Amino acid sequence: MSSSPPIIEHLKDALEYIFTPSAPVITIGLLIVFIVPILVHLFITRQTPYTSLPYILLAGPAGGGKTSLLTLLERGDAPAETHTSQTPHAVELTVSLDAGASTFREAAREDAPGSHKKFYLIDTPGHGKLRGAAMAQISKTGKTSQTQFGDSAMLRGVIYVLDAATLDDSLADVATYLYHILLALQKRTGSGRTSRSPNAVHVLIAANKLDLFTALPAVLVRSNLEAELGRIRQSRSKGLLDSGVGTDEIGSEEQDSWLGEYGSEKFTFAQMREFDIEVDVISGSIQEGNVDKWWDWISSRI
Amino acid sequence: MLDTFEILTTSGVVLWSRTYAPVSPTIINHFITDVFIEEKAASAGAKDNQPTASNAPYKYDQHTLKWTFVKELGVIFVAVYRSLLHLSWIDKLVDNLKTIFIDLYGDQLKKPNTTLVHCHKFDEYFDQQYQELESKGTAKGAQAVDTPFQFEEGAVSGNLGDEPPLPLGLKQRTKPNATVKDASPPPEPTSIGTPNTSRPSTPGGNHLVVGKGGPMTRMSRKARKMQHGHSAPASSGDEAPSRKGKKAPKKGRRWDADGFADEDDDVQLDYSVTQNTLTSDSEVEAAGRSTAVEGVDSTSWGTTTSKGQFVLKDLGDEVHSILKSAEEKNATSGATPRGGLVGSGLSTIGGLFRNVVGGKTLTKDDLDKAMKGMEDHLLKKNVAREAAIRLCEGVEKELLGVRTGSFESINARIAKAMEASLTKMLTPTSSLDLLREIDAVTRPSATSMRKRRPYVMSIVGVNGVGKSTNLSKICFFLLQNKYKVLIAAGDTFRSGAVEQLKVHVRNLKELTEREGGKVEIFEKGYGGDAATVAKDAVREAANEGYDVVLIDTAGRRHNDQRLMSSLEKFAKFAQPDKILMVGEALVGTDSVAQARNFNSSFGPGRHLDGFIISKCDTVGDMVGTLVSIVHATNVPVLFVGVGQHYSDIRNFSVKWAVEKLLSNN
Repeated sequence: MSSSPPIIEHLKDALEYIFTPSAPVITIGLLIVFIVPILVHLFITRQTPYTSLPYILLAGPAGGGKTSLLTLLERGDAPAETHTSQTPHAVELTVSLDAGASTFREAAREDAPGSHKKFYLIDTPGHGKLRGAAMAQISKTGKTSQTQFGDSAMLRGVIYVLDAATLDDSLADVATYLYHILLALQKRTGSGRTSRSPNAVHVLIAANKLDLFTALPAVLVRSNLEAELGRIRQSRSKGLLDSGVGTDEIGSEEQDSWLGEYGSEKFTFAQMREFDIEVDVISGSIQEGNVDKWWDWISSRI
Repeated sequence: MLDTFEILTTSGVVLWSRTYAPVSPTIINHFITDVFIEEKAASAGAKDNQPTASNAPYKYDQHTLKWTFVKELGVIFVAVYRSLLHLSWIDKLVDNLKTIFIDLYGDQLKKPNTTLVHCHKFDEYFDQQYQELESKGTAKGAQAVDTPFQFEEGAVSGNLGDEPPLPLGLKQRTKPNATVKDASPPPEPTSIGTPNTSRPSTPGGNHLVVGKGGPMTRMSRKARKMQHGHSAPASSGDEAPSRKGKKAPKKGRRWDADGFADEDDDVQLDYSVTQNTLTSDSEVEAAGRSTAVEGVDSTSWGTTTSKGQFVLKDLGDEVHSILKSAEEKNATSGATPRGGLVGSGLSTIGGLFRNVVGGKTLTKDDLDKAMKGMEDHLLKKNVAREAAIRLCEGVEKELLGVRTGSFESINARIAKAMEASLTKMLTPTSSLDLLREIDAVTRPSATSMRKRRPYVMSIVGVNGVGKSTNLSKICFFLLQNKYKVLIAAGDTFRSGAVEQLKVHVRNLKELTEREGGKVEIFEKGYGGDAATVAKDAVREAANEGYDVVLIDTAGRRHNDQRLMSSLEKFAKFAQPDKILMVGEALVGTDSVAQARNFNSSFGPGRHLDGFIISKCDTVGDMVGTLVSIVHATNVPVLFVGVGQHYSDIRNFSVKWAVEKLLSNN
């Protein structure tokens, strides 16, 4: 009991001091007013790294060589040994704008000549259950615009890596995944009509493993894929509706889920130009380091 | 012994590897797919930071994989060895290497946006650990030898008798560098095969004995390596960390230069001589003892010999200190109370603050309560308890130690993780396009050598789930796509079943007359054998040029062994391309047992190809059955039935299911 009155007295004094205008109180008050928001801002921005580097997505079925390509481009000399990926992974790479370092080998060096431009190369898992990671990077629907590796508006291109040596057996799977990616890109272009249209995203179909005896040349890869995509498109249009589609939206959905020129007999990659999507098929071999054409393609997109 | 040791990241890059015998990369790929992605294995799921022993070893193609996983850094440590061998020390090796690797290179692993980890030096650490643990295991093994070893002794001594043991061994050791380096890929079955397969119970001991006396020329590279490891067990602790190339000449030099006068060599020679003269148990014991004795000796002379060994000893010390500190950390972290009253108060306030603002690191306490809520939510959605618990455990493991994003509450984070988890579980591994599959079979391309044949689908399920109804729905869908369909009445048991199908066929005929499809029924009345009816139907369809055969079967209770056993014969006779099981959305926990029993009833090598979930319109949001059956079997859902009409069948959409499961009403 005896100690409480002095404490109250002290508090009173302190309050009185704070509320009386004086130079130190004003400076401290101003400091708090200005610095706290800055600190909060710093705190929050540190939590979410703001990345606006353009990026290129590596997609494709498992066993194509996506991670190998990633490590080859990063290391510059030889690809690392790889196994089935489970998580997406981004790697920061540099291209030079002028002809200083024309190959990835030179660009991978620290002291590469010429002026540089940085970008992310994002590797995604190709296993059937984990393809959502790649699709999430492509599709731009509402809240998911801010994806794990930056804004999906910064997507510059998709490299679809496939194994040209086993394409005959795996054609159905390879084409189905490609179908979904192209369709997602097509919808992306379509969705942007109201506001400014998003930047064009091009697709490179990288026919890997050219070093193997059974590998198909790029021309055959292209024609096989086009034929198979046409078949998929055909059977999709005849197939059952998805369980999520209500009866009222059947009409509107129809138009959107047709890949390429609507109603056309045959599918060709050229039809994707309508949606600002260029598709190139270039073969190469990661094992032999024969990826210069892919690198050129990347450089021209960044 | 050990075939391969690899350190790889979840993004698929191999950070470090050591291969003793070439192992196909598909083994590790299968391991990743089965254990981490599809979670098929018994102890599936990525458990964080568990000791290797508690992760069930994964077996594939005569190889056993021991592994451990560090979730925080996304690093997997895998040791691959032949399943025939019984290596008790592998667990320890994997655990120790994990601790060392994380300690040394953890910082590098945390760097974003790169896959480069500079860990060339890890070779030395690995060698040190490998030699140390292996020699330990050997000593233990030799002492623990019992009866089976006796039996093998004859073979060993016979081996010895073939050639003069010691001189040859000596000669070999004088130039081990060349032999080790030039050794061609080992002729496995002849050399390694004999010592290992015949004596699985004595992992290290046998190598010890054979290595000592056996003719070197006939040993594989691996075995020879083993022998080098043991030929100077005393030095193993010190020499171990040096590279392969370096190690060999050093050993040779000692034998050469120092000769028999050297103290160490005396010990060596004594050791092998005694071993040769001794027999069976006593010999083994002696061997064990001598190894032990030398092991002790090594510490005393290892430091005094040369500069190189001096350094190597330091490495051993470093490794031990790393392991020790990690152990201490483990011991203390279990039972450290948080600082004083002030500290705990501050942390609670901070926790509350972060709960709102985000950036909170999730602990087990935070998660427990929220996960309980999520589990209840799933149970309310009619997910079987077993599946709900598995899902929640998976999500909890995934979230432990994760920081929430800014302005993200725990519940939101859990919902997000659960969505990802459900999507991953329900997404099929391969694409399921029925029409394309049918086309591939009925209209094979000219280049493939296959003959045209009808596509056979059969439908199984418990009584009254809607087998015939769904069969006719699928038939309607096929007819619309202008296929010729033959329906086989395989239900020869229930009265009225054949008539019911006849009515369906009549209706379908009328409905699709204009579309151009063609449908007929194949029936043999009641009482016949369903498998034979199915077989005849397929033959008839092939003759008559039908595209698709749909086989109806009798409903059967999944736990009635007598009824289920006839399914195996059915699968053999009819050879269906697709066996679909109809499960109703109404069923609760029993769905797990249903799916499991049906999945395993078609004999070895054959299982279900997909599910049709019927009556989805009657359950609203409670579509938990979907999750339960996929959880039980890893077989994808193909179709869902959403109404009474022939057209009320839908492709299964994962997004739709996940939305329904997580919706709150």
